[in-house]
Amino acid sequence: MKNNNDYVTHNHDHYKDHRQRDLANRKYKDGADICIVGAGAAGGVLAYELSKAGFSVVVIEAGPFWNPQTDFASDELAAQSLAWQDTRLSTGKDALTFGHNNSGRGVGGGTVHFTGVFLRFHESDFKTKTIDGVGEDWPIEYQDLAPYYDKIERDIAVSGPKEFPWGSFHGPYPYPERNPISANSQVFRKGCDRLGIKSVVAPLAILSAPFDGRPPCISRGFCNQGCMPNSKFSTLIHHIPKAIGYGAEVLSDCMVTRIELDDQGKAKGVTFNHDGKEHFQKAKLVIVSAFAVETPRLLLNSTCSKFPQGLANSSGLVGRYLLTHTGHDIYAKFDDEVRLYKGTPVMALSQDFYETDRSRGFARGYTMNAHGGRPVSLAKNLAVSAGIWGSDLYEIMRDYNFYARITIVGEVLPDYNNFVTLSEEKDEYGIPRALASFSYGDNDNKMIAHGVAKANEILEAADGKAAFVIPDSAHLMGGCRMGRDPAASVVDEFCRSHDISNLYICDASAFVTSGGGNPTETVMAIAARTAQHIINSR
Amino acid sequence: MYEKQRTRYKGFNVLDEKKEWDQHTEEIVLKRLGPFAAPKFLLPEEKEMLKAIASHLIYDDRKEILEFVINHTDESLTSPVGEGERKPDAPPLKDLIRWGLKALDNAARGQFDCSFVELNAGQQFEMVAALQKAKAYLVPDWQQIPQKELFKKLASLIVSAYYAHPTIWSEIGYAGPAYPRGYVRLEFGLTDPWEAERNEE
Repeated sequence: MKNNNDYVTHNHDHYKDHRQRDLANRKYKDGADICIVGAGAAGGVLAYELSKAGFSVVVIEAGPFWNPQTDFASDELAAQSLAWQDTRLSTGKDALTFGHNNSGRGVGGGTVHFTGVFLRFHESDFKTKTIDGVGEDWPIEYQDLAPYYDKIERDIAVSGPKEFPWGSFHGPYPYPERNPISANSQVFRKGCDRLGIKSVVAPLAILSAPFDGRPPCISRGFCNQGCMPNSKFSTLIHHIPKAIGYGAEVLSDCMVTRIELDDQGKAKGVTFNHDGKEHFQKAKLVIVSAFAVETPRLLLNSTCSKFPQGLANSSGLVGRYLLTHTGHDIYAKFDDEVRLYKGTPVMALSQDFYETDRSRGFARGYTMNAHGGRPVSLAKNLAVSAGIWGSDLYEIMRDYNFYARITIVGEVLPDYNNFVTLSEEKDEYGIPRALASFSYGDNDNKMIAHGVAKANEILEAADGKAAFVIPDSAHLMGGCRMGRDPAASVVDEFCRSHDISNLYICDASAFVTSGGGNPTETVMAIAARTAQHIINSR
Repeated sequence: MYEKQRTRYKGFNVLDEKKEWDQHTEEIVLKRLGPFAAPKFLLPEEKEMLKAIASHLIYDDRKEILEFVINHTDESLTSPVGEGERKPDAPPLKDLIRWGLKALDNAARGQFDCSFVELNAGQQFEMVAALQKAKAYLVPDWQQIPQKELFKKLASLIVSAYYAHPTIWSEIGYAGPAYPRGYVRLEFGLTDPWEAERNEE
């Protein structure tokens, strides 16, 4: 048996070597106030806030309850198990890749293997239609989320600059910015300085000093492989253990297959599968926080006589307006070593191209992240996405240490024709596999071209030579968009479904537009606001 | 064929530092050196074909490294875990690989009148390159095997494994696992004492 003395492993029900398989003795077998489906960025915050407020809460999570010390490793290939790998069917002109770049599995969800880049949306993100005539307006504004952004940043001690130049929040962040920054981030800032582009040390959900019993970052660089020192925030090590401390129960390795309704058409609980056996969790309120793919999939699979098109779907929009971010990786080669493997992947960024500038020929914009990386993902993406193999691949990889990289996180405009739905093919639980279709629009492609050119300018200004570009996407959002009009949206501004009053859908799927930056902080702020609304409605 | 200069970091061996790694990572990495159990999914002829394809994709024919690549591929094909995503018109991974290798072999027989593994290196290379562009020699098998998808899945499995091998880490000057000690000297031009030092001639 492995050593399990670290504090993260306390209080939970089961994980490797310590699994409690006896679901008959679970805590809220006879019913809970609230059942949350999914323990990721949103589910973790909801579990914490709601259990702290005194509700009895059960979180049901499809994947395992990871132990960072014995389940994570300083290894890319092994870390693939942290991602949601269940097969999804993917089509469209720009078919999405699913897995490590966007979908988590297990308690903590995607926060277990995200880069920790922690950004607020700008005011303009919430009203692109009014301001720019593209996309759609949200039913909320920046000011509605501002107090929750503040709270989340304090709750987890976000590190960041004293002065943040863009958007509405200009700092300072609760914890000081990370120092030193990696060579790749230095290269990026040097290029930006020479071109007159503003850049900052990235705001990160990664500690720059001790906090809450956790140590500061040791610049190991394996953020995407799961943080072993627990310096990087995840709901696995922060919100979920605290929620358990307030009485919440986490049922991991349990796949929710259906949301069940009572005769009045209200949610009464969920059916889930554990080790091949079916169980039921009764609850007064159900919150689905299962990710932009699994949330629509679960709603569409929960058909019943009253809702033959799936739950919360009277608008027909469940699964529609699926959003991603353009995520192209731009590489340049330097005469000296950069060593992309060292330090937190993203330690510097710029939002100088975030807001609409019509002279560029497209609406909206993007964040530029200096972005470190490791050999397996680079080589794999070169071969699979860029089509480079054989001696060409070998020669690039031999010089791996000489490359620097910038990643574009660009706003993708919502399109009805980008969607998640159910396919004809079933998985081991008998649920139809998700079918996703995605294609970039004209505006998206123009933005990608602009971002790639700008990234190359920056790298060349820093004395690099433009080398290659790997097409990529990152983050998934949308599919259950929020709005005031029940005919044109799935949930209201508090993530409550228009159709079923005790069914909430609270995760990135509620996004109306994607924004032009990493979305995790916004997912968590929305979850905190939804929790407050539920507490207020008690 | 593979005579190019392999490394700018002669003498660097990432495994020299394994005592500094956490136990879990060390176990995982050392398993990549073998010995390997016999494949559970791949048939002997499939294994030989995959080795030949792999050597072209990764530009390397060292036996011990190819053995690990094949072992990783076989484990991926026997794993109950899904494949992330798949094109709706592509068969599931196991079938794609099995039927795909068969199709490629049939294409070799149609085009050159011998099996894929009997082709010379140049002919094999041409066939892999054609697969990437969906222009392999036409045989009926391709009706159920999307060639580009076959190429991508093979490339993904093989290239991922290759660059997870500690010998390759050493050659490219990647310092590998870094827990519990982490990196101290992150900035441009600085290295920690255990990192690879460039010493190419």
